[in-house]
Amino acid sequence: MNTAFQRLQREHRAEILTDWLQHLAAAVDRHSPHPPGLDAQRESLFDAVLTTLAERPNAHDFMLDPDSELGRYLNRLVTEQARQLASPSETVGSLLALKQRLARALLALDLSSDAVVESLLWLDRLFDALSLFAFKAFVDIRERLITEQSLSLLELSTPVLKLWHQVLLLPLVGVIDTLRARQVTERLLEAIAEHEARVTILDLTGVPVLDTSVAQHLMKTIDAARLLGTRIVMTGISPEGAQTLTKLGIRFADVVSRATLRAGIAEALLIVERRIAPLNSERQL
Amino acid sequence: MSEHFATERLPIRSMLDIVTARHAARELCERLGFGKADQTRIATAVSELARNVIQYAGEGQCSIADDSQGTHRCIRVCIEDHGPGIPDLEQALCDGYSTSGGLGAGLPGTRRLVDEFEIQSAPGATRITIALIKRG
Ligand SMILES: Nc1ncnc2c1ncn2[C@@H]1O[C@H](COP(=O)(O)OP(=O)(O)O)[C@@H](O)[C@H]1O
Ligand SMILES: [Mg+2]
Repeated sequence: MNTAFQRLQREHRAEILTDWLQHLAAAVDRHSPHPPGLDAQRESLFDAVLTTLAERPNAHDFMLDPDSELGRYLNRLVTEQARQLASPSETVGSLLALKQRLARALLALDLSSDAVVESLLWLDRLFDALSLFAFKAFVDIRERLITEQSLSLLELSTPVLKLWHQVLLLPLVGVIDTLRARQVTERLLEAIAEHEARVTILDLTGVPVLDTSVAQHLMKTIDAARLLGTRIVMTGISPEGAQTLTKLGIRFADVVSRATLRAGIAEALLIVERRIAPLNSERQL
Repeated sequence: MSEHFATERLPIRSMLDIVTARHAARELCERLGFGKADQTRIATAVSELARNVIQYAGEGQCSIADDSQGTHRCIRVCIEDHGPGIPDLEQALCDGYSTSGGLGAGLPGTRRLVDEFEIQSAPGATRITIALIKRG
């Protein structure tokens, strides 16, 4: 229990809250749109902070429990701000603005100096914990958002290239998960039908790890492509990758495999009875 | 003997953690002086096991340790979860056995990929330890 903060809660709640919200509206929200419900969220956080200050002892080892009311409100607010693409310093800054106002109100209470020191220390500790928590939560959320965004970018970057008449090239780059594999397959099947492809080169140079799950996805893609009448030439499996696939017991049935894209292209052209030759060698054709 | 590299402990909660874990394993493997083939082996093995954790247990963790002794270089990876466990280990280690319509090559294949392979499983506790060893 802290009687000083109990007094603040009882006698000065409304004025501190209003002052804080007005400050945020002027200093923070100017830069970004003010989403509906933000004030209500801030008010919930404000009350949770005051309640914690008033009800908890001055705990030297205070740790913010993420599942407590305070933890949940703070998390919600931080999530909101991270989604608004605010900077973490804004989030922490709005907490510090509240701390400043509480400290000022405390000093105006006319308490004994012991009580002031005690209360200020507790205020300090609590806001240290809040700031750290907010900062960490903010970074976590942003990281997640960024990953989601880059994953969906990856999904978009699956070009199927027409290399030659009836020859397609599908360069796979990055992590192949279920969703991505499905998109790749769809795109490839469309292209095969559109170009009446007889050969498709599947280049795996950009696939970081060929494990059984990736292999299974590839097998499904290959099977579907083959049903449309195209031959598959696989390229870009490193010697180490090939060795690993063998150890895993994986074989791509009926697939021509070439170490390099260049060898794969030569193979593909052979299948459509073409070849790349020097300009002066027409006689030999 | 020189000092060991610090053990890394990583959560396995999402597809992204799989990527992080196999990266970390590959990196330590390289720093320990293993060649390209070994790096690929350990990265693939970690990928298999971590994916099983996500797929069958939801989440778990992974520790990647430098267990070198004397002139022997050793990378040891332990992957554990608190999921339902594997009821029949012998069956799960058979090529082609899968309860999810997968290739069923993950566990048996991983066992062939690594130099040491240890598996313990009970409801609520599955732990697989693998190691690559290079005698120097
Ligand atoms: N961590 C785990 N927890 C529970 N069951 C597992 C776990 N790992 C593997 N299994 C079981 O063992 C089977 C074989 O695994 P695996 O060889 O990787 O093949 P796949 O994942 O293709 O099914 C799985 O289908 C699953 O039933
Ligand atoms: Mg598996």
